[in-house]
Order: sequence, then structure tokens, then C-alpha cells
Amino acid sequence: MIVAPVSADDDVLRVEHIAKSFGPVTALRDVSLHLKKGEVLGLLGDNGAGKSTLIKTICGFQKQDSGQMWLKGQPYEPKSVEQARTLGVDVVYQDLALIDELSVYQNMFLCREERRSRLPFLDRRRMKREARAALNEIGIHLPRLDVPVARLSGGQRQSIAVARGVYSEADILLLDEPLAAMGAKEGAMILELIARLKAEGELSMIMILHNYVHVLESCDRVNMIVDGVIALDKPTAETSLEELTEIVVDEYRRARLAAQAQEAADAAAEASAPAAE
Amino acid sequence: MSVSDGESPVTAPAGGQAHERKAPRAAVAPLTLIRHALTTREGSIIVITAALTVYFSLSLSVFFTTANFENLLPYFAPYAILAAGEVFLMINGEIDLSIGGCYLFAPLMFYEFHNGGIPLIPCTILALIVCMGIGVFNGFVTAVLGVNSFITTLGTLFTLEGLTLIVSHAEQLEMPGAQVVSNATGNHITSFASAFGAGTYSELFWALGIVLVLQVALTRTRWGLHTIAVGSNRIAAAEAGVKVRTVLIRNFVVCSTLAGFVGILEAVRSNSITPDPGAANSVLLDAIAAAVIGGTLLAGGSGTVVGAMIGALFLGVLQDGLAIKGVNADYLDFYLGVAILVAMLINRYVGRARRRSGLG
Repeated sequence: MIVAPVSADDDVLRVEHIAKSFGPVTALRDVSLHLKKGEVLGLLGDNGAGKSTLIKTICGFQKQDSGQMWLKGQPYEPKSVEQARTLGVDVVYQDLALIDELSVYQNMFLCREERRSRLPFLDRRRMKREARAALNEIGIHLPRLDVPVARLSGGQRQSIAVARGVYSEADILLLDEPLAAMGAKEGAMILELIARLKAEGELSMIMILHNYVHVLESCDRVNMIVDGVIALDKPTAETSLEELTEIVVDEYRRARLAAQAQEAADAAAEASAPAAE
Repeated sequence: MSVSDGESPVTAPAGGQAHERKAPRAAVAPLTLIRHALTTREGSIIVITAALTVYFSLSLSVFFTTANFENLLPYFAPYAILAAGEVFLMINGEIDLSIGGCYLFAPLMFYEFHNGGIPLIPCTILALIVCMGIGVFNGFVTAVLGVNSFITTLGTLFTLEGLTLIVSHAEQLEMPGAQVVSNATGNHITSFASAFGAGTYSELFWALGIVLVLQVALTRTRWGLHTIAVGSNRIAAAEAGVKVRTVLIRNFVVCSTLAGFVGILEAVRSNSITPDPGAANSVLLDAIAAAVIGGTLLAGGSGTVVGAMIGALFLGVLQDGLAIKGVNADYLDFYLGVAILVAMLINRYVGRARRRSGLG
């Protein structure tokens, strides 16, 4: 019998001591985080800090090397994206995750296609209708849903990706830079949608964002990953733009010092080498 | 692909009938229709094939006759089936060269099973199961072990061709079940033979049926959608939950099974099993040519089974027409090669025009 870790009753997701390496590269050293029901958690961190790796682990795309995850108090070990989805965890990747050759509605329904009862044939009309309704609700108006998404703008593609996740009946939605490639107007639309979902209180979200202003505006709490560990965990009300910026600046400072130290060591080694010859 | 609902009124009549009712625009109709036909994925090859047929029909009195149509079928139907399977793999961004091997090996397996005392239909099924196994192997080595499919299937191709030579001792064999039987009502072929290749229109029916099923599978089922997704963006497909390996392996299985089936049809039709790797290689290349001419990209992500069938028809018409014209056999391959290049260049131009015009 596995006992769930001590946690607040309203934690829908707990991640405990997750580590993940790709060959010699350590992406996640030791990450623990938790997510309450209806909460929006902003995930910050530099490029390569491990944010996307964490998201991909939670959504079932890849398995962690060590550590456990708990979903609504139950051990959570998704073996595939599809399995995670049936358990109520869905993910919105960056806009690159659309299939260029497929149309808008085909992308929105990829891997959860609607079929006509019993027959293997896809119910295209129904998928188009539902896709149209979902996009209208977000406020995205595309003239046609049967054109390949390759023809759409970056913002339109991103909004399709977000709509795909939001209308998947998930309890937990992971968003990997939902505002990437978006103009201000489209971005505002997505933030508004997220605010609306937050107000409804059913969906819990983890969002990777780069813009700190967006984080402070739309998230309840912020976690910052630095070098594969969570370096900061605070409600957005208790932190500030300055504090978040300071952490990053500090990290750069340390990285530069480390690089300088390494350089000096290399130079010293080089200087002593000819003498030994 | 949606041809009927275009964007601008000039380039897009909303369905043929609706357009006819609008009298003032009748003058532009033929032009826009041609432009429309040219910008669909299969359109260009349909036009090219039609033009070629008209040319041969006008210049050769015997070309547009039933007798010649029947002559032409063996140049067309087998390639349509082979290309249909190949299209699925090419959409995946893979290629299967081993169809030449399955084409050669399946009838020999059929022969061996029949020698073992198994009836004809179960023999066919067993031979096809062997081909499925070859497809699973190709798929496993490519999708799971990560060997490039060109290399994997080149290996299987030579292995199977070699095995065929070894097992048959490189000797021609008579195909069981394909012999002409004489009885009170005269000479006739068995019902097995007439269904599986020897009947005049047998291969044509198989080809049309298989092409229809696969085209519907490609455009209207999950399998087809996932096949396109894997070929267009493999990582994104996997992230969305598409089982990339399963899709790939399944398509390899379909491809080699169809190739084995064509091998059996052709062996029954010719009443012989000819262990000739050279002929099999040429069959393989013609099938790939048909798929490519039909508008399927080698790079993956897009393709059409119907287009591949028209591509096969194009090759059939060309070979048959040139043969009737009495073109020196030495020139045949030359003309074929030039025709393939020209068709491809037109396809490429039309593809660009299609993307510009905003049609799917």
C-alpha cells in the first residue's frame, strides 16, 4: 500500500522529487511542485531550465528517471499522452505542435477524432461544427476550418492549439508558452480565456510563460525553475516584478562568475603546460 | 481535399451545377474548370493522361478499342495496387523497396504451400501472411530500431530476391491453379484463376476495389489522418498522442501484403512463377514512379491513392501506345524516363500554383 504524501486536500497534482536526464545532460535535478484545484500556476525559468521537460513528464510524453507524481491523491504514472488524457491531464504545446498538412479541425481533433457510430469513418461535419463552436467561444474567427494550418498566422495556429487543449474535458491543463508567436491582440484574447476558465474554478492549469507581467496578471502562484530545481514558490500577490527579475539577474551573475573562474583555470593550465614540456 | 468551396468567385465555382445556372459567367466556366482541375492534387496527372490518351487515339486507329484496353490492363492494374500501398508509406516519409521482393517471393510461397497439399485459397492467405510478416519486420527495423527505411527495405528486397532464387533453383515454375482445364463444355480456366488474375478484368476489379478502399481510408479514417500526421510532423504527432510506430508498422504491412497479392495475381495471369529479380526491380520502380507521378511527395505529408492509380494508368497508356506505334524497344525506356521527368516538372509547377491559389 502506497501512502500519499501529506498534502492539502485540494491538491489535484503533486510532483515529488522528479529527476530526468538526457544522456549527460541533466534537465531536472529534483523538482517538487503542487497544484490546487482551480489554481493557475505560472512556471518560469530560463531557456533550458527544464520547464518543458517537466511539462512533458507530467503529460505522459516521457517518463521521469526518479521521483513520483500523484493525481488527486492517487499514484500517477502515465505511460502515454493518451493515457494521461483519459486521466484528465492534457497539454497545449507551442504552435510547432500542429500538423501543417492537416486542416484546422483535424488538428483540433487529432487523437480524439469523432467517429460515426460503429463505423471507422470520421464524422467530419460534427468535428467541424464543434471546432467552430470552440473557436467562436474563445473569440477566434477563422473563415474556413478545412484549410491546412500551414496557411495560418502564428497567432491563429497558437489559438488553435489552445482551443484544442481547453475543449478536451481535462481537469488539469498544461500550457507550454501559450502566448508564443502571438500578437498583443491575440495574446490578450488567450489571457482573457484563461481568466474566464480560472473564474469557473473547474480547471487547474500549469502555464509556462516568459513575460513576467503576464504571470503576475493571470497566475495565482509562481514557481521558478533554476538549473533543474524549483528556486522560488510564492503566490503572485507576494512577489513582484523586481523579485523575479532579481533571481534571473542573480543567476546570470553566478553563471558569468563561474565561466570566468573556468576561463582563469584554463588559462592557468595553459600557462603551466609549456613549462612542463 | 475540398475542391468545391473555393475562395474567390473567379477561380471557384461553388460546385458545378450551381455554376451552370449563372449564365453570364458561362464563358469563363471551361477555363476556370480546367484551372480548377489543374490545381487539385490529382488534377494535373488526370489532364496529362487524358491528353496522352487523346493523342494516341487520334494517331492510332487501334488504340481506342476494347481489345487494346484489355491489352493495356496488365500494364496498369498491378501497378495501381502496388502504388496504392506505397503511397501510404511515402506519405509517412518512408519508402518500401521490398515490394519487389514480396512480389517475387509470394507466388513461390504459394507454390510451396500448395505442394504441401494445402488448397488454393488457404495457400493465398498463407502466402499473404508471410508477406505481412515481412512488413512487420520492415516496420520494426525502421520504426523501432531506427534504420532508414530505404536501407531496411533494400536489404529485405535483396534477401527476398535471393531467397526466391535459392528456393526455386532459379527455374521457372508453373503456377498451381492457373492451368486451363478441359472438360465437356470446352477449355476454360478455373474459377480461382479467373477471380485471382487470369480473368480479363480480374486485376482491374481488384485494383479499383483496393484503390477505393485505401483512398477512403486515407481521407476519412483515423488511420489515414494519423498517417498524414506522422509524415507531416512526426514529433508533433507523437506529442498529440499518435502511436507513430504502430502507424508506420501498419503501413509497412499493408504495403508488403499488397505487393505479395499482386505477385500472386500476376503469376496466375501468366500461369508461371518466374524468379527474375531484374523484372521484379523494374516492377518496383514503376510502382514508385506511378505514386510519384500521381502527386505523392517523397518527402512525406501528402499524397493520394487515386492519383497514384492515374499515375499507373499514365505509365500503362504510354507503354502501350508506344508499343503500338512501333517505337523501337530500345527507345521505350528513354521515352518513359523523359515522360516521367516532364510529368514531375508539371506536377511541381501545379503544386506551387495550388498552394498560391489557396486550395487544399
